[in-house]
Formats: sequence, structure tokens, C-alpha cells
Amino acid sequence: MSRLGHFARLIAAAGVSIGFVAVGSALADEAFITNQNANSVSVLDLTSKKVVATIPVAGKPAGIAMSRDGTRAYVTSPEGPYVSVIDTASRRVLRKFPAGRDPLGIAIDPTGKFVYVADFDIPHLYKIDVSTGKIVADAHVGKSPCGVAVTPNGKLIVVADRDDNQISIVDAATFKRIGVVKVGQHPFGLTIDAEGKRVYTADVVSNTVSVVDLASQKLIGTVKTGLRPYVVAVNGKYGFSTDEYGGTVTVFDLKTLKFVKRINVGDYPEGIEFSSDGSKLYVANWMSDDVWGIDAKTFKPVAKIKVQDGPRSFGTFIRKTP
Amino acid sequence: MKARNTAALRIGGMMLGISMASVAMPYVALAHGPTRQKVTESVEINAPAAKVWATIGNFQNMAWCDDVAKTTGTGGNVPNTANRVITLKSGATITQDLTRYDAKEMSYGYFTDKIDIKVLPVNDYSGEIKVIPEGANKSKVSWEAAFYRGYMNNDPPPNLSDDASLKAVTKWVRTRLDGLKTKMEATH
Repeated sequence: MSRLGHFARLIAAAGVSIGFVAVGSALADEAFITNQNANSVSVLDLTSKKVVATIPVAGKPAGIAMSRDGTRAYVTSPEGPYVSVIDTASRRVLRKFPAGRDPLGIAIDPTGKFVYVADFDIPHLYKIDVSTGKIVADAHVGKSPCGVAVTPNGKLIVVADRDDNQISIVDAATFKRIGVVKVGQHPFGLTIDAEGKRVYTADVVSNTVSVVDLASQKLIGTVKTGLRPYVVAVNGKYGFSTDEYGGTVTVFDLKTLKFVKRINVGDYPEGIEFSSDGSKLYVANWMSDDVWGIDAKTFKPVAKIKVQDGPRSFGTFIRKTP
Repeated sequence: MKARNTAALRIGGMMLGISMASVAMPYVALAHGPTRQKVTESVEINAPAAKVWATIGNFQNMAWCDDVAKTTGTGGNVPNTANRVITLKSGATITQDLTRYDAKEMSYGYFTDKIDIKVLPVNDYSGEIKVIPEGANKSKVSWEAAFYRGYMNNDPPPNLSDDASLKAVTKWVRTRLDGLKTKMEATH
């Protein structure tokens, strides 16, 4: 047993003694799944492949942003309309704060001090101070903004403006839009690579992933996906899109932007994210009410976990337990 | 009693509005666009899966539904290529695309390009039909439907609300599945 492991066990034990819900196993991953139709968030232990907690969250929860340290999950409820702050260790909603008219996409800055929330109803991106729950800045973006992502250094925020077929690039410091890049039709989810260089958008109507170079603010490539791609995830080598009507994940090569493979998953897959060690991908399937784990190398399914009605987890939803 | 509650809410709302000075507050009561709805229904049929699939597995033939007058289309059963126009006995038409097709799994998926909200109060209506074998002479047909309500903006009229759309699609799917069971078991 490593010293770190021992330490983690002590922490877990301390958690029990002061009345928190016990953390299943140390140094494991957990997934927080927003079940939109069920009005809940399921907590999945990805090691035991079991649901370990279910947290009631009203207002049709959809979007989620996990803090980098894994202590907080911020969940958007478009029908709230509000953002719920979840203490991931105790599996409790600590508080809720209002967030415009129709909060959907959400991302968190690397320091964990602010969340950025896109208002689907009115084209605004809000900067919310998580310590007060107040909107401290407000940027104008394109029509029906959906996915939000932040560069790893926290300097830029990118928003998918669905009905304008573009992304907006917002400077985090000035909170002003500094660029717009046209992509495919109806970009919904988007992701930024670990280097902070490229943006990948899942274009629902054109059945493509658009690749944008952030520095030059130019579209540098397009990849054909399965039907109705919603969200995209990337590692250093491959990109993965969740294709809703296809019931598939399309794998493409990041260098050549060529098709690699189509993986069958559950019905109407949406949220997708890598495990903390990058070895697996987890996909929330809205129609079949389950979360599938996929081996990132062999592309074979390794887990199928039943959750509640309408799982989406649109955003970042996996945390490494302390 | 009702009036008192309303008044209390109003006062509460005003107090909140003043103390928080938030841009969001005036909109709280009516904000948000629709959330996608789903209906999952199934029926057990006393007939072999292959026989049921032979009846419903052709995207270009919806004759197994009692309310359908004819189906015309192109592209056979090729996903992303095939489309069909279903003419109902009422005269209304529905235009759909084939989104996935798996003869081995006995399932197909569709997306609706055009449907009158008077026929079915939905938007972006898609779905999947699947036949699951349950022994030699028994099978299950499952039908999943995904859609938004008939009115895409805030404050829908009652006949185009989430609830109304859910009820209408449930009835739509249920009627057709039950009809299929009757038909299959009568000819078995």
C-alpha cells in the first residue's frame, strides 16, 4: 500500500466520522450524471460500476461542469432556471443560484472561482462568481449558445452558437468577444484540446465535427461523423463524437482528420468524457437510460451502468476522488 | 387562500428583486425553452420474431398500421438515403428519413422531416422500432420515440404542452403496437 493510498484511506475514514457519506474507494473515478427527465443526478463509482448515490435536482438538469479538484459539480437546470452547486463528497446540493433565462452549457475556470454559463434563450454568456452566486460579467455571443469550454490556461472561453453556425471566442479577462469562426450547421457540444490549440465542435445538422485553430481563429478541417453528433471528446491521438441518431461513437484521427471507426453504444448518446487516466471513455445515453464505458485503445465496451430517465451530462462530469 | 398565496409570492418576488438586483429575476416565472421528451412502449406478441420483423421491417411499407392508407418512398432500407411519405387515411402526410437499419438486430430508426402538429403535436420527432425474440413463438416489439412538444417557445398553449405531447405520442405508439399484436396473433 502506497503512502498516498494510506493517506486517502485516513481521509475517507475521517469523512465517515464527521458524518459525510463514505467515499467508496480511494483514488477512483466517479461520474456525475444529469438525468434530465428524472430530475436527478446519479453518482457512479466507475471502479465498481455501480450507482452509489442519487441526488434530487429539479428543473430538468442537463449541463454540468466539474471543478478541477473534483470537490464541486455545477449543474444547469434550464427549467429552473438556475445552477445547482453540488458538494461531490457529501452528495448534497449546497445551494442554487439564478442564471438567466435558460441556462444549458456550462464550464468552469481552472481556479474554480468562476463558472461560465450560456443562456440558450438570450444570446449571453454569464460569468458567475461561485462564492456569491452573482453574475459578475456578461458577454454577448451568437444565437442559441450551447456548449462552453475554457482553455487549460483559463484565458479564453469558447461558446458554440448553435443557430448562428459559429463559435464565439471570449477573452476571460475583459469578458469581451474577440472572435467568431463559422463552423458546420448547428454546433452543439465543443471541446478544446489539452494544449489549448484547437477547438472541436459537434455539428448536429451537418453531421460533422469542425476543427478550429484558436490562435489564427480559422476553420482548419471538417470530419464526417455518424448521424446527429452532439458532443465531442479528444485525447492526444483520436477524437470521439457521440452520434445521437446513429447510436454510435465515431472515432477519427486528430492528425489526418480521417475516419477510424464507428463504435455501437446505447441509444441517443450525448455526454462523453475520458476517465482521469485517459484509459476509458464514458458515454451517457439519453434514450436507453445508461452510461457506457469504452476502452479508449481497443474501442470495446467495458461497462454498462443503468441510471435514471434521460441521462445527458452535457459538459465535464467525471472526478477523481481524493 | 389561493389569492393570499399569490400575494405572498409576489411580495417575496419583489423583495428578492430589490435585494439581489439580478437581471434574471423578472424572468424566473416564464423562462426556458422546451426539454426533449421520450416515450418508450412495448408489446409482447405470440408470434416468432422473424415473422413480426417480416411484417414491420420494411421502411417503405407501413401497411401494418391501421390508420395508414399508403407508403411511398425511395432508397429502400438504406440508412441516410431512404425516405418515405406516409399517407394516413385522414389524408394527412408524414415525411420521414431512415436514420439506422439493422436487419440482424431487427431494428430501424427514423427521423420526421414533416408532420402537421394537428396530426401529432411534436417537433424534431424521431424514434426506433425493434423486435426482440423471446423464445420460438414469442417476441417483444419495443418502440422508442423522442420529440419536443408541439410549441417550441415559452408558455405553450395547453394542447401543445409537454404533457399534451407526451400523451399524444404515447397514444400514437400504443395504438399501433396493440394493433400490431392483434394483427400478428390473428394470422399466426
